[in-house]
Amino acid sequence: MMDHSDTMSVKDSHVRRVLVIATHAFTQLVRMKVFYFLAIFAVIAIGSNFFNLPQHEGPESAGTEVLRSIKSWSLGAMTLFSVVISIVATALLLPKDVEDRTLYTILAKPVPRIDYLAGKLLGVMMLVFVSLLLMDVLMTAVLHIRTSMVLDQRVAYATELGWPQEAIDSMAAEVNAMGSTWSLQGAVLAVFLRASIMASLALLVSTFSTSTLFTATVSFLIYFIGHFQADARDAYLHVGEVGQGLVAKLVTLLVTLVLPDFQLFNVIDAVIEGQVIPLVTMGKLVLVALYYALFFTIASWFVFSDKEF
Amino acid sequence: MGETTPAVEIRNLVKDFRTSFRKKLLRAVDDVSITIMPGEVYGLIGPNGSGKSTTMKALLGLVAPTSGQCAIFGKDSLKVDSRNDVGFLPENPYFYKHLSGNETLRFYGKLCGLGGSALQERVEELLEMVDLTGARDRRVGGYSKGMLQRIGLAQALIQKPRLVILDEPTAGVDPVGSRQIRDLILKLSEQGITVFLCSHLLEQVQEVCNQVGIIFQGRMVKEGRLEDLIAIEDQTEIVLQDADERLIEGIHGMVERDGRASVVRTGKPRTTLERLFLREISEEE
Ligand SMILES: Nc1ncnc2c1ncn2[C@@H]1O[C@H](COP(=O)(O)OP(=O)(O)OP(=O)(O)O)[C@@H](O)[C@H]1O
Ligand SMILES: [Mg+2]
Repeated sequence: MMDHSDTMSVKDSHVRRVLVIATHAFTQLVRMKVFYFLAIFAVIAIGSNFFNLPQHEGPESAGTEVLRSIKSWSLGAMTLFSVVISIVATALLLPKDVEDRTLYTILAKPVPRIDYLAGKLLGVMMLVFVSLLLMDVLMTAVLHIRTSMVLDQRVAYATELGWPQEAIDSMAAEVNAMGSTWSLQGAVLAVFLRASIMASLALLVSTFSTSTLFTATVSFLIYFIGHFQADARDAYLHVGEVGQGLVAKLVTLLVTLVLPDFQLFNVIDAVIEGQVIPLVTMGKLVLVALYYALFFTIASWFVFSDKEF
Repeated sequence: MGETTPAVEIRNLVKDFRTSFRKKLLRAVDDVSITIMPGEVYGLIGPNGSGKSTTMKALLGLVAPTSGQCAIFGKDSLKVDSRNDVGFLPENPYFYKHLSGNETLRFYGKLCGLGGSALQERVEELLEMVDLTGARDRRVGGYSKGMLQRIGLAQALIQKPRLVILDEPTAGVDPVGSRQIRDLILKLSEQGITVFLCSHLLEQVQEVCNQVGIIFQGRMVKEGRLEDLIAIEDQTEIVLQDADERLIEGIHGMVERDGRASVVRTGKPRTTLERLFLREISEEE
């Protein structure tokens, strides 16, 4: 109603509408029963305890392999689920609205097209976030229990051998570093950021594609290219040095501007090995993800604002 | 503002569609102009594929005109704020299957900036009005065609718009439901709401509309007040009850003696199929 929108500031009403569409997209996905995959994750997280039975290990290093295995399997599964969900869900939502013509009824309301796009994207991100949060809780719990088991075992062994307290302490710190740390939470955040980039990319693709299959295929392709693009770039630059250096540099710059370099996310592997992610690296990842998400969303808006249905 | 601003103003609308990958253009709407003043009920009629839906979509900014302008209450259709005051029921509407009727209306209400108890009251009111209170918590995915059409109508009215655009509101609805929808449109018009509709049920258009436009192959071929369009000025109709042969013959004789007038036709008036259907249905009940 007129008086209603008049009392509401323009920015407020944008935010509200985006949230309405986002919560709706979230509910829609939840009612499609996406959360069932969490059961599979639970099996993986708990099963990873036994994937790597440490029988061959000597008692002095016993257990750390298991911790590594739990993290590696869990983060791997998180990556897989989050990327698949963000691509497939995004690729599904837009064409479905166009096909079912529900889009008519939405755009016939005072809904700017950017609000619609941002809402859908946010809804998918909410879903990925909640899924990752649940998976994270499960992984951390499993890891926590297993770490204290390993620690007890090792401390008991060390005390038996009569290790000095300092040596026991440093051994304990080593084991804890393999367990659940802040860096591990950072790695989960990195998984989320990568999935967000993929969701916004899939949004862009789906604004000009006509089918879910096309969108999903292209998005997965770009995902894989994103893992190799740094190598390809380096190779190209080497060739370029012989010829025109400036052109080569410009081309690489352009490529990085539109194609995310997923090798930045290799920090996740480092965390699995028990290393610490510096805060600066985390901050950089956040900025990179924000840049691509914004870039892809704005590009989608450009395509979508001229679209006819 | 006020009474002088037309509710709908379409000026010289042309819309071309690109067909397939060849560069051939298909002209769906060709230089159509329509002006609807507040409070009018305008019916657009025409054969399939004549450009009715395309005209409506252009008015709602869902397609961009190739040339010409559309405005709702003076606001350009390509701008978002023109849609504050309009409700739209697309042809063969289809809503989110996973939502219930109640949730559907709440969703559209929130999109219009409504919220809180005002929204829930409006939702209840509309569910009552379209007779879906009993199905409010059922998923829309399980709704029948007529129910979809009715929830679509409710959705269009959620923010109390001053203009409603209905693309074949009675398509696929049984005669009883279709009559309910017709009554609803009449009620809207009594409340001063402007209605722009298109339909293939000419009888219903005749019953509810006071302005009619006939569109054919994208061109407006006839437009005006319904009464002016359908009245046959030089003819008069007499319908008699229980008249016997003698009286009829007498009337014929009188007409003959008049010299100027002539009898065009006599016979039994037929009830319409619609009226017959409705009568039989109500007798069954
Ligand atoms: N998106 C589109 N792309 C290409 N052609 C289109 C598109 N939409 C409509 N048309 C064409 O434009 C013409 C008019 O279509 P429109 O849907 O406006 O007709 P209509 O009068 O609503 O018909 P009906 O009574 O069947 O609903 C048709 O020939 C149709 O094929
Ligand atoms: Mg149509």
